[in-house]
Amino acid sequence: MSFAQKIIKYCYTLEGSTRYKGLKGAVYNLLQNPRAPIRPYFDIFMILLVLLSVWLLIYEVKHDLGLWGDLIEVGAVTIFIIEYLLRFWLYNDSHKVIIERYERAEFINETFRLGPALSSAIVGKLRYMIQPLAIIDLLAIIPSYRPLRFLRIFLLFRLFKLFRYTRSISEFVKVLSEKRIELVTLFIFMAFITFTAATAIFFFEAEHDEGQIDGFFDSIYWALVTMSTVGYGDITPQTTEGRVISLVLIIAGLGVISFFTSIIVSAFGEKIHEIRAHRVFSEVERKQVDTLVCGFGRVGQVVADRLSEDKRSFVVVDPLEENIRLAKQRGYLAVMGNGEDNSLLVSMGIETRINRLLCLTGDDVVNVYITLIARQMNPDIEIISRANHRENVNKLHRAGASHCVAPYEVFGLIAAEYAGQPVAFEAVYGLLTRQTSEGIEAVRIKRDSSLVGKQMGEIDFLARKLIPFGIIRDGCCDSEIDNSCFNLNERCFYFNPGEGFTLQANDLLVLIGHEYSVIHLRDCLERGEL
Amino acid sequence: MARQDTLIFGCGALGHEVAMQLSERGIQVYLYSNNLDEVGGLLAKGLQAAVIDYTDDEKLLGIGIGKWVKTIFCLFSEEPKNLFLTLSARALDPDLKIVCVAESIESSERLLAAGATKVIDPYEISGQRVHEMIARPYLVEMLENTVFGKHIDIAEIEIPDSSVLAGMALSDLELNKKYDLIVLGVVDLEMGNQLIFTNSGVDHHLDAGDILVVIGGKQEIERLKQGVLAASGEP
Repeated sequence: MSFAQKIIKYCYTLEGSTRYKGLKGAVYNLLQNPRAPIRPYFDIFMILLVLLSVWLLIYEVKHDLGLWGDLIEVGAVTIFIIEYLLRFWLYNDSHKVIIERYERAEFINETFRLGPALSSAIVGKLRYMIQPLAIIDLLAIIPSYRPLRFLRIFLLFRLFKLFRYTRSISEFVKVLSEKRIELVTLFIFMAFITFTAATAIFFFEAEHDEGQIDGFFDSIYWALVTMSTVGYGDITPQTTEGRVISLVLIIAGLGVISFFTSIIVSAFGEKIHEIRAHRVFSEVERKQVDTLVCGFGRVGQVVADRLSEDKRSFVVVDPLEENIRLAKQRGYLAVMGNGEDNSLLVSMGIETRINRLLCLTGDDVVNVYITLIARQMNPDIEIISRANHRENVNKLHRAGASHCVAPYEVFGLIAAEYAGQPVAFEAVYGLLTRQTSEGIEAVRIKRDSSLVGKQMGEIDFLARKLIPFGIIRDGCCDSEIDNSCFNLNERCFYFNPGEGFTLQANDLLVLIGHEYSVIHLRDCLERGEL
Repeated sequence: MARQDTLIFGCGALGHEVAMQLSERGIQVYLYSNNLDEVGGLLAKGLQAAVIDYTDDEKLLGIGIGKWVKTIFCLFSEEPKNLFLTLSARALDPDLKIVCVAESIESSERLLAAGATKVIDPYEISGQRVHEMIARPYLVEMLENTVFGKHIDIAEIEIPDSSVLAGMALSDLELNKKYDLIVLGVVDLEMGNQLIFTNSGVDHHLDAGDILVVIGGKQEIERLKQGVLAASGEP
């Protein structure tokens, strides 16, 4: 077996090894996967390590580190080296490059040559090494090698390593990099002015007897200090010509500074929504938010208020800045954007974490659209949609809504009840809205509850100021127990169960009464005092 | 033109919806609006509708407000219109029932101040419904399939003069055993029109003119009505 064959065989072994893949996956989670739960801990650890090693560097300037300091330094460098090597390893799969080359050669019936394959694998790794962050990593390690001690200042690059571990710094860099063209233009303009001014001042001042400029470096230094409006004053022009150049340079400097400021400001202005949205995304992730509210109009606001009263976590999406501001004032997580935006829904975790979506916008077209795409992305999600027109209820159900709420229909129901039966209205209104203190409540009968096996007649509900309304039980109707039984979805409801009705574990006892009476009953059940 | 005692002002989607619900309950309504297009749309759907200038008190008197009309619904989509109509109608008839739509808490306060009897906020209610669906899904499912799914009705039954029920205590009725019905409560008109819930702890003694609010199947409610009527003739 030739060397090349051995290598190929080894590559295939790696490709087929689950242990190798598992290991690489674990390293990926640790170093790169932004969603891995371990990432924040690793990042904080690395930040502390970097800060510690830089602090040692500062301390070392005036003091002797001693044995412990050296040990910590060695430890930190070891961790940096391991991290560098792991990232180097993680960047791509060399064995896959070789396998690909080999299979291509086999396919077109060429002889496989190891040389080019290996070199392309090496090129892949080299590509990693020339990445800015990889260079920073390397520069943070190299000066620790004794013969290269003179490079000690590069230990400061360890601070740049913080880019990797903090999101805000990397966001700053990302924002600036989007303004690359403007910044490059500015830089060229600045270099041109500096160079021109430096040349001119050198020309006039270096020859002059009282001139403070000794070399071209001095004039560059002077030009930059003047242009940036810092103006130390350690080098000042002594000739009239030199002063004229200063005047021109100062005015040009003002332009450059304001140009620079405006670039930065506009870059952040454009990106601020995105940055805020990212903040919210990570917050949503951290808090394990499972409810997404699309639309923060009147209905959305009411729902959000109720949900927050229940201490449930949710996140609001609305295209209007005004609504988002309102949501934030109330302390809710909110992102400005359209619910129809596929990528926004994905960033919110609609495919994974979110298990309830509320489409509450005032536009039925939008509600149907969001319902449809959300249902396609996640078949198991619960979707509650608002239907502003009665005829759209069917469409929403067809699009995949689990439940629909039609504001006008509910209004009609209540209003009609008021016109027809004003007395019964209060009861209906109470049932529908729970705004009256009397309402309908359900109590779950637990497996170990004292109520299991009891008959309805044995419990004196009236003494507890409760009216038994019915029982919700899993399964289908058993019409022999009670004749007024209604089939619900996978459950059934026994209305007005007779005295002989026997309670079972897991039944939901539906009661009408004051909320305190129900709370009291629950309390008694918990303590087994019934 | 028949004399309807229930009028709806505002022929938008909301007016349409309420008209449909009312006619399902056998209540005939007449719709009014100042918008010709909306009225035309409703006429095409077979509803009774007409154009009116609601700012003119004479016109309002002409359609029976202050005379035979008992209930009006102000369902314009603009709050100022509802407010204006409420004020005018209240001035014409202090006993008129005025039901208004409101789209915010502030606007509902204004409408109540203007003299509305009942202000309903569809968005508030819908929001609460959505929350109920999340917080108590089984209950909502049950209510939707029974009470709002037309299997079970809530009904009010007036106790006629010389009924055997008069003089009985609420707890003696035992309607949940004799009929398949639950008595939610009773309204004693002499004590105001508040609903006294069965579970309030007060064992109310019924007399003629009281109104029972019961919940149950349609047939059972009919049976009770027949029973109450039949019993009233006996000594």
